[in-house]
Amino acid sequence: MRNKLNASGYALNTVIYAVCIILALLSILPFWVMIMNATRGTFEIQQHALSLLPSTHLADNIAVLKGKSFNAMTGFLNSMIISSGTAVCAVYFSSLTAYGLVAYDWRLRQPFFTFIMAILMIPAQVVTIGFYQFMYRIHMTNNFLPLILPAIAGPAMVFFMRQYLLATLQLDVVNSARIDGAGEFYTFNRIILPIMKPAIATQAIFAFVGSWNSLFTPMVLLNDKSKYTMPIMVSQLRGDIYKKEYGSIYLGLTLTVLPIFVVYFLLSKYIIAGVALGSIKE
Amino acid sequence: MKRILSVLLVVMMLATVAFTGCGKATTTDQAASTAAAPAESSAPAAEASSAAAEPAQAPAVTDDPSIKVLNLWSFTDEVPKMIDKYKAAHPDFPYEVKTTIIATTDGAYQPALDQALAAGGADAPDIYTAEAAFVLKYTQGDAYKYAAAYKDLGIDVDNALKAAEIAPYVSDIGTNPDGNLIGLAYQATGGAYIYRRSIAKAVWGTDDPAVIKDKVGPGWDKFFAAAAELKAKGYGIVSGDGDIWHSIENSSEKGWIVDGKLYLDPKREEFLDLSKKLKDGGFHNDTQDWQDAWYADMKGAGKQQIFGFFGPAWLINYVMAGNSGGTKPGEGTYGDWAICEPTVGFSWGGTWILGNKDTKLKKTVGDIINWITLDTSDTGLSYMWANGTFSIPEGKTVGTKDTVASGTVMKKSDGKLDFLGNQNMFDVFVPAGASATGKNKTQYDESINTIWRDQVRQYTAGKKSRDQAIADFKQQVADNLGIAVD
Amino acid sequence: MRRKSVSYAKYGYIFSIPFVLAYLVFSLYPTIYTTIIGFTDLKGLTKTDWKFLSDPFQNFEQILKNPSFITSTKNTAIIWIINFIPQILLALLLTAWFTSSRRHIKGQGAFKVILYMPNIITAATVAILFNALFGYPTGPANDIIQSLGLSKDPIYFLNEKWTAKLIVSFIQCWQWYGYTMLILISGVLGINPELFEAAEMDGASGSKAFFKITIPSLRPIMLYMLVTSLIGGLNMFDIPKLFVMNSGPDNATLTASVFIYNQAFSGSYMYNRAAAASMILFVVIAILSGILFYSMRDRSAAKLRKEEKRRIKAYNESNKMAARRAEI
Repeated sequence: MRNKLNASGYALNTVIYAVCIILALLSILPFWVMIMNATRGTFEIQQHALSLLPSTHLADNIAVLKGKSFNAMTGFLNSMIISSGTAVCAVYFSSLTAYGLVAYDWRLRQPFFTFIMAILMIPAQVVTIGFYQFMYRIHMTNNFLPLILPAIAGPAMVFFMRQYLLATLQLDVVNSARIDGAGEFYTFNRIILPIMKPAIATQAIFAFVGSWNSLFTPMVLLNDKSKYTMPIMVSQLRGDIYKKEYGSIYLGLTLTVLPIFVVYFLLSKYIIAGVALGSIKE
Repeated sequence: MKRILSVLLVVMMLATVAFTGCGKATTTDQAASTAAAPAESSAPAAEASSAAAEPAQAPAVTDDPSIKVLNLWSFTDEVPKMIDKYKAAHPDFPYEVKTTIIATTDGAYQPALDQALAAGGADAPDIYTAEAAFVLKYTQGDAYKYAAAYKDLGIDVDNALKAAEIAPYVSDIGTNPDGNLIGLAYQATGGAYIYRRSIAKAVWGTDDPAVIKDKVGPGWDKFFAAAAELKAKGYGIVSGDGDIWHSIENSSEKGWIVDGKLYLDPKREEFLDLSKKLKDGGFHNDTQDWQDAWYADMKGAGKQQIFGFFGPAWLINYVMAGNSGGTKPGEGTYGDWAICEPTVGFSWGGTWILGNKDTKLKKTVGDIINWITLDTSDTGLSYMWANGTFSIPEGKTVGTKDTVASGTVMKKSDGKLDFLGNQNMFDVFVPAGASATGKNKTQYDESINTIWRDQVRQYTAGKKSRDQAIADFKQQVADNLGIAVD
Repeated sequence: MRRKSVSYAKYGYIFSIPFVLAYLVFSLYPTIYTTIIGFTDLKGLTKTDWKFLSDPFQNFEQILKNPSFITSTKNTAIIWIINFIPQILLALLLTAWFTSSRRHIKGQGAFKVILYMPNIITAATVAILFNALFGYPTGPANDIIQSLGLSKDPIYFLNEKWTAKLIVSFIQCWQWYGYTMLILISGVLGINPELFEAAEMDGASGSKAFFKITIPSLRPIMLYMLVTSLIGGLNMFDIPKLFVMNSGPDNATLTASVFIYNQAFSGSYMYNRAAAASMILFVVIAILSGILFYSMRDRSAAKLRKEEKRRIKAYNESNKMAARRAEI
């Protein structure tokens, strides 16, 4: 084996594993504490907020959650619709736009890219004021569309996809497809998208998670209980300032995180395997 | 390329102007139409009320029969539950109640409510609520114009206020700059000093409120004398500086803004010194209100045992009882508490109820508000609220009791609590309401209090001088709120 | 550059239509609205009519002279720098380890998945957890410090300016290094493996291959990282807002975004000033990003652009060929 490591190489490997394990523990700890606290009573939590061992109050916490009109199923479905919609819109249309920017030579290409870069830099905070007012005016409150459709125009993701395509796309592939008589949309959907899988998987996760966790915009736009997302419901729990039922708050937070875990682990195989970019690199 | 870019920019600019031109036009159109609508609808109301002034005839208000939904906005489920109760008591209640609850914790309630009020239309709230911390904005500040005068909702305000003996500060806060009552709270939130009986016995040999009230007050000098005595036996007198702050804030003569300028009331300024004294003497556990360590002190789990807290009745029922570490006498600190007159009189908190001036359901909105705030009968909300019959938890004979704004109701109610060793809390809380005032509030209180208390903490922690803390406080208020300072 | 051939240029426009439409519908109005009210007297909640100020830059002047705004920009810069430098270094290091062809780290898939996890937890949860961790007067961090004898009295972490800043930076770093790492790894995966094989053939060491091949090839992605992190950093809002209650001790963690939010929502509804502050922030971001672009472009981006041009040329050539072939 040519790749055999020498002694110092093994030493370094040990260091690498040690660092990774410490970092992994730092990552897991909050989730662990959160899940443990979901089984603990409010008094226990106030006494010692962090505990590595479960307790016996899970049933009580579930009862409190139910009593507080925390409807996990509704929240889960709503969040799922919004977040998947956002993720799909974001990755598909950003890839499309990026491909348009990379693969075609059109007159407004450079100005358009400059334009995207410019809007990428606009700070989000106050633009939201105008956004809410606009949505109220056109009666789009209590509607998921204003939470999903803006993702189509995600300058940051277009930027990323463009950078990615610049580094990976080989136009021969496109050309050979054309020679085979494939239309441009067909080429994009069937050939380019698969090439972009690793980038799409990571960006889809980011988009999904970002949308799943966002609180302020949905909170202001969704006033109908049946349209609440999971984070809004948790924030209702926290909002009862007279009496904080910490156990049930943690339970709510845990329920909120679980679906993301599922989606994340489903998509993570793309990140990990790296999906051999075989389609272009024979 | 550059030329194309500049052409594009010019086009965009033009589009911009055209676009906003349109946007602006529609805004003003809408504003004009919404402005016109109340003008029409208020004309008959004005006639009605002027008619009411001459003969004793209540102004007739009605619901628009085409409306099927009543929108309710609140920040906890307290008021929504009241309306559920109202519905249950009125089987013929024809409307579907659409409830929107947005917690105040993440700062979204006010922006969302503001947008909903400004946008109007079918989704606009018919009834909405505001907490003491920001109620002024909705009754006297920027947003007061959205609220309907109670009299336009068919409530005979003057007589009802008198009959219910509503605490004057409650109606002061709810009266708009035009002199009309637009909001009332159902609670009275006059405060008391809530102390541990066992510690009182250990230090002074008695837990009698009549004795303890002379130990902790009146006035801060006596309070600190008591603090020293307690300290000598290893007890803290309060949990943190927040405890004295609420009584100082709400007992000061004037609010943060006087004549459009920032004003530092001498009592509020004194908070710097009192807070420093507390910290330097080790008289408290240096906790912050609403933080875990503060709750922990309610069951005596802090660094040193804490003698007491300043607060109104709701603090006992909604905060301390739940955090006492027990649910019946003998468990945790449950039952080991008593209340007496506070060092300085104050009030703290409360929820005000308002109706939208554009509501199509004037009669129903008026009826509900009347039932919650002004109805003094045994089936009115106030009576049930005061006597713990509003919602009785499983396995108990009585629910949480609270002081209510109506003096009439308080007189016929019983405030005995096993949490307080069967002391009748109304004996202390009802007179306490007299020292409550609505004159020292502004719509900026929440923001300014945050800045002020932060600077006080900087000073008490020895991070900066007293003068510097005041100067920085003024600077930050000017920076963040655009309020003139000296 | 004009030549006769089947033109695919129109697809450039077609593929951009969804983006442009969505932008026009959902972002243009709010953006323009914000730009314009920066020059007006729009202040106060219920105000619906507004007029342009006689001195159009009055709001901008007031913001630039506002001591809290100056503090907030300084804080933002400091917090961003102390979070970004360790973050990118850690991410690069992990990327080097995980993508090394000779150092097959076992379980790296699991590590990647786990290290990214802090990013999927909401700011609200993070705020609660860290508040508990650094609780005062009792809390795990204080327990540890006191049991190790580092300090006799409990430390009020969130009342100390620097510890508050450091904790916020730490949270940001902890939440985002996994993200940065994943982006970098996906960038490395996009590099042509032949390059590494060639390097290995030449006997280049792992670290040499990393510096000679990986880092230069990552430049476009690194530029993306830098720019988006900078923008994200300047927009930093959730953690400072939820964790340290708005502005932290004595404004120690007041970020530019929180400042803007306060201008608009903390009681005075100074939409005009908030808008002006946003515009100023926008200009700052634009300048900084411009500098970044310029400095990154120096060596590689210019080369990349050349490469891109060459590609397009080849591409057009082949288009021609394809067209011709189609004709035949």
